[in-house]
Amino acid sequence: MRETVLRDAVRAALATLASFAFYSLLGAARPSTLIVLNAFSLVVVTFSVGRSEVFGAVLGSVCGLVQDSFSLGVFGVAGLTKTLLGFWTGYVSRRIDVASFFRNAVFLLVMSALELILWGLLNTLVLKEPIDFRHGLMLLQPFVTALLGSLILYLARKVRARRA
Amino acid sequence: MALWEKRKSFLILGALVLFHLLLISVQIPLGGEKKLFGRAVFFVFSPVQRTAVSAFRGLRSVWTNYFDLRRVREDNQNLKHELFFLEQEKRALEDRLSQFRAEADVRENLAAFRKSLIPARVIGTDAVNYFRSVIIDRGSLAGVKPDMAVCDRYGNLVGRTITPVSYDEAMVQLITDPESSVSVVSETDKVVGILSGKRDALCTLKYILATVQTGKEGEGLITTGFDRIYPAGLHVGRIMSIKPTATVFKEITVLPYFSYATLDIVAVLPAVSGGTR
Repeated sequence: MRETVLRDAVRAALATLASFAFYSLLGAARPSTLIVLNAFSLVVVTFSVGRSEVFGAVLGSVCGLVQDSFSLGVFGVAGLTKTLLGFWTGYVSRRIDVASFFRNAVFLLVMSALELILWGLLNTLVLKEPIDFRHGLMLLQPFVTALLGSLILYLARKVRARRA
Repeated sequence: MALWEKRKSFLILGALVLFHLLLISVQIPLGGEKKLFGRAVFFVFSPVQRTAVSAFRGLRSVWTNYFDLRRVREDNQNLKHELFFLEQEKRALEDRLSQFRAEADVRENLAAFRKSLIPARVIGTDAVNYFRSVIIDRGSLAGVKPDMAVCDRYGNLVGRTITPVSYDEAMVQLITDPESSVSVVSETDKVVGILSGKRDALCTLKYILATVQTGKEGEGLITTGFDRIYPAGLHVGRIMSIKPTATVFKEITVLPYFSYATLDIVAVLPAVSGGTR
């Protein structure tokens, strides 16, 4: 039990570092890509699928807070939305069949879309201003997250199968 | 105990949600500095960002320098570096020529200005709130403190440093952030107003009465120095449109001179007591 928790904690820390490095590289290479690709959400959904909901919640929480600390938005909003994203991705993915690429993509699309909606609602509520969706480009985020997330999971599954 | 075993994951989720809600609620009303916890996370993760970006830029630089026109690229880099300082000096020279009579004074002041200038590179952008902030690779070790003006490589105003400032990184609030305020004056008609961001790449000039007849489209804006953060005479942007509104103020949209998309090398200006540059 303790070993599992410890392993999950190390994995969560590594995943956070990976997401942050990914976000930094995207920003350095082409800042405009950050509009359509949220590196933190991608890592949270990818790492939470098939794992425990607690792992997803903790990973989402840390990734969200890191995103918040490098943003001038309200500190904690991304933390809250990503906590819920990680928790429910882990919780639901262990109860339904998301093994195939298509099912996985649809599942991640729904989760990412719900996260974006919640983030928008919270921001509107706190800032009392409409969200700037960058001429609709930001609405592509769930699609990009779902596509890349399922692709990563599909490739990971293939690699694991080949090794076995 | 039985409840914990049964509902462990939901209890942990509840605790995390409560923690985040508390974090959000302590920031209301908005407008204050980042809280200690936020600054701590920034301190811990900013070196990671710096390392990742440096590695990426290093690799990109190796590729371009060694495999693609090596000498030309190096010369270009040096010239860009020199141009960066020359642009800053030129702007400072324009201001100071009107203030100093003796040439010796001008030279002495320019030398001091060049020495105190802190060149930096943009290593991060805001992931969700675009046009509000960027992260630069110079921090307190290089002499960066909060409330220092930041200009692009051509000497146009970009924003100011704000907390958190870590040892090697600092956050810059852009003038396109709706929460920012810069005291500016139009170059020709001398209309004084407050410049703020508009949640996109544009700014708005506030508090210009509808009865004021001066100020026209295309006119440039420079800082006044009245806010005691931004030195006077920095080039900010130009007026794009002036529209009447139902209120007592005009709606004036300003296009900033700096380009968010191509923001790379910036200059952090030493803190001044305001008024002059």
